Amino acid sequence: MAIIETFGLSRHFGKTAAVEDLNLAVEAGEVLGFLGPNGAGKTTTIRMLAGMIAPTKGHAIVAGHRTERNVEQLHELIGMLTQTPGLYDRLSARRNLEYFASFYPSIDSKSQVEKYLKLIGLWKRCNDKVGTFSKGMKQRLALVRALVHEPRVLFLDEPTAGLDPEAAGEVRQLIRTLREEGRTIFLSTHNLNEAEMLCNRIAVLHTRLLALDTPEQLRRRFFRRQIIVQMETLDAKVTEAVKKLAFVQEVREEGSQLILELTDSERNRPELVKAIVEAGGRVIGVSEKQYPLEEVYLRLIREESGNEL
Amino acid sequence: MSCRHIRNILLKEWALLFTDPNSAFVVTLLPFLIVGQVILYIWLAFRFGAEGMLSAPVFQTALQKLVAALPGVGQLPGEEQVLVLLLSQVNFFLLLIPTMIAMSVATFSIVDEKLSGSLEALLATPVKTRDLLLGKALAGAIPALVVTWISAGVFLLVVWALGWAEFIGFVVTARWFLTLFLLTPAVAVLSFMLGVAGSSRAKDARGAQNIALVIIFPVFALIGIQITGIVWFTPLLILALALAIVIAAFVSLRAAVRLFRRESIVVQWR
Repeated sequence: MAIIETFGLSRHFGKTAAVEDLNLAVEAGEVLGFLGPNGAGKTTTIRMLAGMIAPTKGHAIVAGHRTERNVEQLHELIGMLTQTPGLYDRLSARRNLEYFASFYPSIDSKSQVEKYLKLIGLWKRCNDKVGTFSKGMKQRLALVRALVHEPRVLFLDEPTAGLDPEAAGEVRQLIRTLREEGRTIFLSTHNLNEAEMLCNRIAVLHTRLLALDTPEQLRRRFFRRQIIVQMETLDAKVTEAVKKLAFVQEVREEGSQLILELTDSERNRPELVKAIVEAGGRVIGVSEKQYPLEEVYLRLIREESGNEL
Repeated sequence: MSCRHIRNILLKEWALLFTDPNSAFVVTLLPFLIVGQVILYIWLAFRFGAEGMLSAPVFQTALQKLVAALPGVGQLPGEEQVLVLLLSQVNFFLLLIPTMIAMSVATFSIVDEKLSGSLEALLATPVKTRDLLLGKALAGAIPALVVTWISAGVFLLVVWALGWAEFIGFVVTARWFLTLFLLTPAVAVLSFMLGVAGSSRAKDARGAQNIALVIIFPVFALIGIQITGIVWFTPLLILALALAIVIAAFVSLRAAVRLFRRESIVVQWR
């Protein structure tokens, strides 16, 4: 069942369209990666979905609420991590969380704050001022601030932007934990690896929605599946034997590798290996060629900009 | 309106206020500097300028109105009449304390949160704009009020210490109590309300301070009117004025809520 649905959602600032005719649905428990270049409308979309700004056209339903109506009720059901942590540096970590938690009527803020400070490993420093924390610690704290009232939907706006690899890794680990708990997460990011690691599906936005699918299906859109057979040494006899197989659509040699396109790359693999071995070839390994998601993303963006390669 | 939300905002604001050395200085020491200065001016005027003031038409009008309100003052020598006139203006000077604290503290209350990014996170919670603005205004107005009352007590102690105890009876009148316990709270709340409203509309801290300047002008006008005797504030007039200011505070809260554009704040402060 969709917990986030948008219907022709659009937002204009003056004559400039930030988001145009966005239609998408996010299932409960899903982690959706929201990708797009700077100024693509990612933050504007998140703000519309979180009821912070109103759409100029269309509408969205989040956790059963129209986002432009009953905003306070909506805010009880969602959590939002903004681009900047936005914490009070002169207050302790505990006091920061307790303050934000105090606006939600249905929770025991003290126990919730303790639970989440323990989850992010900051319980021992709960009474330290946030101003003394590292960027990564602040970001983790800001993330659990969005969680402390157990929201049904979590909006994360570039949660690892500006963090060093270690701090970014800590934040990603926390998101992974939340995903395992079955939370619905709408994750805006520039980091394609991060999106692939954490998300069930990926939406690519460039004012308009360019694509929405699983990382694998997005790859299929531009690249056919290719199987790489790593040989000890490549022999012409082996290549000839492989070419004769009915399910082999295309074969190419690259050093000691055979690059193949098969009718069914899962089912045909045992037969392929068998044929190679029978032709005297010695197989080191069989794998599938991985196209980086970045290539898919860049193609989508260039296509949209009319600069297709 | 949620009293729980307002209380939470109050407590958070106080925690921030008293951990910031600048704000803590403004709230705790500035009032005593104002009182000290006022007492110094009164002492200087009494010692060196009372004669000249007696002959100035503007003070003669004020003195006549003072004597009409407190006939006992008419029995005093001219210089002492001037001293009582000056001492009886102090309750109006004390109105400067909440307005100046409001200018310094309230005007930054929203701008600071915009700059740090905490406002967007706050606006993503179920907090109502009215609760947020009222909480912030009260968080400044309450300490400003308490410190004004303490300053008034300090003022009376200094008057006594200077050997002017015999005049305290002319100062601590119904006017004194009404100004301190009715007019001052009303002015404090209004000043902070305007300060917070200005802060929510300002694009930066400088802009917020410029907007806040308008807060202090009416208080200066009030002091000027009083000291020149143009209007002598009787208890009834103070009561009416306090009521008018309470209404103005209520109207300013409603206006501030309407002027608080969440969307522009979120979009323009990235």
